[in-house]
Amino acid sequence: MSTNGLPDEIPIPIKGITYQQIKVEKIPMSESYIQRDSSLIPTASRTVSLNPCRTCMPLGAMFATLGVHRGLPFVQGAQGCTTYVRYTFCRIYKEPAIIANASFHEDASVFGGQKNFVTGIRNLVVRYKPDLIGVVTTCSSEIIGDDMTSFIKMAKKKIAKEIGEEEMEKTKIVLINTPSFAGSHVVGYDRASKAFLSTLAKEKTEPNNKINIIPGMMSPADIKEIKHLLEVMGVDNIVLFDTSDVFNTPLRPPMELPYYPKGGTKVEEIEDMANSMATFALSPHEGGAGAKFMEKKFGMQAIIGPFPMGVKNTDAFLKTVSQITGKPVPDELLDERGLLIDYMADTLNYTMQKKVAIFGDPDIVVGATRFACELGMEPVAVLSGTPSKIFNMQIEEIAKEYEVSPKIFNGSDLFEFEEYLKTIKLDIIFGNSKGVDIARELEVPLVRIGLMVWDRVGYQKRPVVGYRGGEFLLTEIVNSILDYRFPDDRTQQL
Amino acid sequence: MVRKIAIYGKGGIGKSTTQQNTAAAMAHYFGKKVMIHGCDPKADSTRLILGIKMQETIMDTLRELGEDEVTLDKVMKIGFGGVKCVESGGPEPGVGCAGRGVITAINLMEENGAYEDDVDFVFFDVLGDVVCGGFAMPVREGKAQEIYIVASGEMMALYAANNICRGMVKYAEQSGVRLGGIICNSRKVDGERELLEEFCEKIGTQMIHFVPRDNIVQKAEFNRKTVVEFDENCNQALEYKALAEKMINNDMFVIPKPMSMDELEQLVVKYGLVD
Repeated sequence: MSTNGLPDEIPIPIKGITYQQIKVEKIPMSESYIQRDSSLIPTASRTVSLNPCRTCMPLGAMFATLGVHRGLPFVQGAQGCTTYVRYTFCRIYKEPAIIANASFHEDASVFGGQKNFVTGIRNLVVRYKPDLIGVVTTCSSEIIGDDMTSFIKMAKKKIAKEIGEEEMEKTKIVLINTPSFAGSHVVGYDRASKAFLSTLAKEKTEPNNKINIIPGMMSPADIKEIKHLLEVMGVDNIVLFDTSDVFNTPLRPPMELPYYPKGGTKVEEIEDMANSMATFALSPHEGGAGAKFMEKKFGMQAIIGPFPMGVKNTDAFLKTVSQITGKPVPDELLDERGLLIDYMADTLNYTMQKKVAIFGDPDIVVGATRFACELGMEPVAVLSGTPSKIFNMQIEEIAKEYEVSPKIFNGSDLFEFEEYLKTIKLDIIFGNSKGVDIARELEVPLVRIGLMVWDRVGYQKRPVVGYRGGEFLLTEIVNSILDYRFPDDRTQQL
Repeated sequence: MVRKIAIYGKGGIGKSTTQQNTAAAMAHYFGKKVMIHGCDPKADSTRLILGIKMQETIMDTLRELGEDEVTLDKVMKIGFGGVKCVESGGPEPGVGCAGRGVITAINLMEENGAYEDDVDFVFFDVLGDVVCGGFAMPVREGKAQEIYIVASGEMMALYAANNICRGMVKYAEQSGVRLGGIICNSRKVDGERELLEEFCEKIGTQMIHFVPRDNIVQKAEFNRKTVVEFDENCNQALEYKALAEKMINNDMFVIPKPMSMDELEQLVVKYGLVD
């Protein structure tokens, strides 16, 4: 039997799907599912994680470092720590990611990573002349107890001897401690935001009339969309970890070697961030630490969240920007908003009351849950792969507002999520590529959102944030529903 | 300004006893606000101050309740003289990674602001042998600025002290940590004071105090008390008072010049300790 319930020998119909194949209502719990031992389903009662919805902490810090202009991550660990991350970035963005590594072997784990570090940083500075090196630690270096602060001083001294103090000063070095056993990639990015600001941001001088944006691990198109909103508002900004022209770059012959993508936040901009009016952490879990640091150190207003997805959250973002800068929200954005509202009204008959399950990193899940509610959908299960203190509260707030009651999984793995989804009625899933098999098994569409989308192309080129991002996402949602639920000849009459 | 002090020395030399008595003396006689952070997995660095072995170490709390639950009110206890006590704790002997335990514990305490709030002195009581990177955590940059080494006239204690100095030199250049002196915890061996004084002179530091041997220390320990608490007027308590005063007023902080093995052996021979 194939997935659509027909014997395999019947060829793919040419003239659309027949009425027999329409599935207006679907109950996933069928005989083909093997009942699991119920005591083993909750993540908390298992010692293994099955199909985890997160990856390791250094990845977040490397992501952040690559978002700095001429910034290179240097990973203090074994080679696998770098290879996997480079592979992941290539899978997602189809772009190269230059990441250096200390290449730990048995000797480094016994004698400490000092020698590898000092030599490695020296080679990197001399050969690549980066503007910035983000030193990313790993499980092994953290366990050995490498004293990274001292190592950095030693390396600087050594390099300065070779190429001169002045040349050395051109490369800034930021240390980001990321023992992966202490958190996920989300925490890695969060720590990086604080590490960069505490290392680089200089004391206040002249106000620069800008606002700071820490977007979190959004796609290049998402960051572009945020910049578009601010540009239309006429608000100058500094986006910390601007990966928009790093993970999406034109293929042209390099004008100079070594090659760096033209994008990324400039070091001078980071140094200038204390002079801005406020710091927005659009993803509370990814960058919140940086914004809070700026608030504490420089007495600067920190606006943490919400993730600007859908109508209300984008409204909130623009309103706050408007309040802080004194600039009104212009007509152009009201039109964009109007277009999204119009689109929502046009497609309401498809989205209304559809049961949706959402999983991924906490911030985008919270954002998508609200957007789903705005579309009239009913979230039935939500999962944050990274454990969070505020996730439950955030979801419950939305649930109360829209009178829905999704089951909340906080820090669970996708096995537990899947087992729950098998017991309920479900129409659609929002999530990343880790949920492909689940969607297939449950015979529901998967609308891809979030960082880890590697089984489709082009997703980093279309935003999901802002009003226009809402339109793109809504298109995807409605088309997915149509693909699964409506025969071709019916859709033509719509 | 909080003064953070790390106490090192050979295992069994009396680091914990000396450190607790000194801390108690600082608090009791001089009204200083003192905190002790025990970095020994055995978690016995605060027993005399608290009158009982610490029951809730940082690592126990971490293991049983999780990282978020490690708060100061859970892991910090107040003992004699208002001395604040925390113990890192760690795994059972033979399993896990005690060094990482020290790193994690100090990081968690820093996150909770334990070393900033209303303290004059913080003591790190470290395992006798600095066996790996983790046990050097207390002397990294921004942590302890002063080290005191507890030693005696016994040969092995001097070897250990000299070794600790060798390790220290590396950190001294990077993190700015300095040796404040050697504390002699007397074992009543012949020529002890002279030997120690010459040793200190050779490595370029001072013998900050000669603590005589007195059975009252053991007696107080049986009662789970520091001497200062047990009998504040006894001679030994006054010795600790003197040590505390010298530490409070100490202004001699140096990078030690460790001796070579040959030099050290010659020194020991000179005082006739090798039969």
